[in-house]
Amino acid sequence: MVSLNRREITDDTIDACRRGDREAFRALYDAYKDKVYSICFYYFHGDSAAAADGTQQVFLKLITNIGQFRGTADFSTWLYRLVTNTCVDEARLTRARDARTAKEVVLDSLARPGSQEEDLVRAERARSVQEALSALPSKFRLPLLLRYFDDLSYEEMAVALGCSMGTVASRLSRGHRMLASKLEALRGS
Amino acid sequence: MLRKHQLPSDEPLRDLPLVEAPDSIWISLENALDAGEKPRGRHRFGFPIWQPALVVASLVVVAGVYWRSIRGTEPQWNVDRLAGIPSIGSEPIDRTGRMKEGQWLETDASSRAVIHVGTIGTVQVDSNTRVRLVTARSTEHRLALARGRIMASVTAPPRLFFVNTASSTAVDLGCAYTMQIDDAENGSLQVTLGWVSLEWSGRKSLVPAGASCQTRHKLGPGTPVFDDAAGSLKRAVTAFDFEKGGLSALDTILAASRVRDTLTLWHLLARVDGNDRLRVYNRMIALAPIPNGLVPAKVLQLDPQTLQRWREELAWKW
Repeated sequence: MVSLNRREITDDTIDACRRGDREAFRALYDAYKDKVYSICFYYFHGDSAAAADGTQQVFLKLITNIGQFRGTADFSTWLYRLVTNTCVDEARLTRARDARTAKEVVLDSLARPGSQEEDLVRAERARSVQEALSALPSKFRLPLLLRYFDDLSYEEMAVALGCSMGTVASRLSRGHRMLASKLEALRGS
Repeated sequence: MLRKHQLPSDEPLRDLPLVEAPDSIWISLENALDAGEKPRGRHRFGFPIWQPALVVASLVVVAGVYWRSIRGTEPQWNVDRLAGIPSIGSEPIDRTGRMKEGQWLETDASSRAVIHVGTIGTVQVDSNTRVRLVTARSTEHRLALARGRIMASVTAPPRLFFVNTASSTAVDLGCAYTMQIDDAENGSLQVTLGWVSLEWSGRKSLVPAGASCQTRHKLGPGTPVFDDAAGSLKRAVTAFDFEKGGLSALDTILAASRVRDTLTLWHLLARVDGNDRLRVYNRMIALAPIPNGLVPAKVLQLDPQTLQRWREELAWKW
């Protein structure tokens, strides 16, 4: 799992955001921006422009709708629900972009000419995982990304994805199997 | 290639680096906020589409307002008669009826009915059953089962549908299940699809498909057991939970457990102390090794995150 120095978001921070406090919003943005961006980045096949656009939409929705967050769910679950909806909506609106092959975009964003050998090996591994991930249908891609980047529980993922816990478990299971099989094919070729 | 029942792993995803969000996003965000920009909606329509769409939407709104005005705004659920003559309040249902918050639906020995739970599912009400509609809101759908048997089938995100009984609350996590309560307010839950969380006074039992859980008046939910578990294990669990079965019951449970029965053992971890907890833990790791990264000491200290993580790994075997 990714480990991060995640800043604790308190009820006070959220209240301040509701009052329009830009500093509080910045604190909230800083706490989650890399995770949100990473999920968008890998969801949109490594397309950094789409990821930046998606991330901006997520935080714009967050600040516009924060009055609707009643605190009955964990804040991060609510945020990831916005991420999920935004990714699905943006992909629907930009089908042409979504249809770009993973390979061409990933090469742009992950390969770093001139880096050390170790970095190159790591980039190569990341490239193959990204390529395999990109080949998965989005309904399997999203649960895997939510699980990996914020280690959400099944229940939290079910709320974020708007489906049942059983569906989350089965999509994760199938997603993992499909990912392993695609990776095996990629690495064997 | 992963084989059936082999633990799936996040390992390949570990090769994906966290990507730092570029600074330009915050700058664009501030500009958007300063300009009063709104986020994009779910759908964007071009000029030729939005005008007729607006007309249609207006007609729908007017029709909706009219419909609500003639039917009243009080939340209520539709009920269909399946057999005999069920009643809502004291009124018998002919073919269909409507149930308001606070009203009881009652069936006798020869009647059955089905309740439509808003738009998220249905509840079949068996004979000799008494059930009340507590809350009918889009964010909370709640029934109270006083006596009898219901079969619920709900397709919704977790924690939208609840069934209260005198000794537990069944919290739907997206599932199908049967719940029954007798006149002594003892009951049982049997899950056929998905998961149900059975909760009462801080005690919680998570019941997956294929498993059941008993509840007892003033004691709350017991420990979940798979329906295909050994009879000796099922009897020992009942004795342990409700009959002061103690050590002898625990010995039987540990001896009769299969890999799948780590469901029962996982719940027992928090329901026994000291040396008994260590015995349960040792039996669990003999059946299914503890996943990499989990610290045994934290399991024994009942660290919530560690227990949750282990449960979710074990769930692949349940």
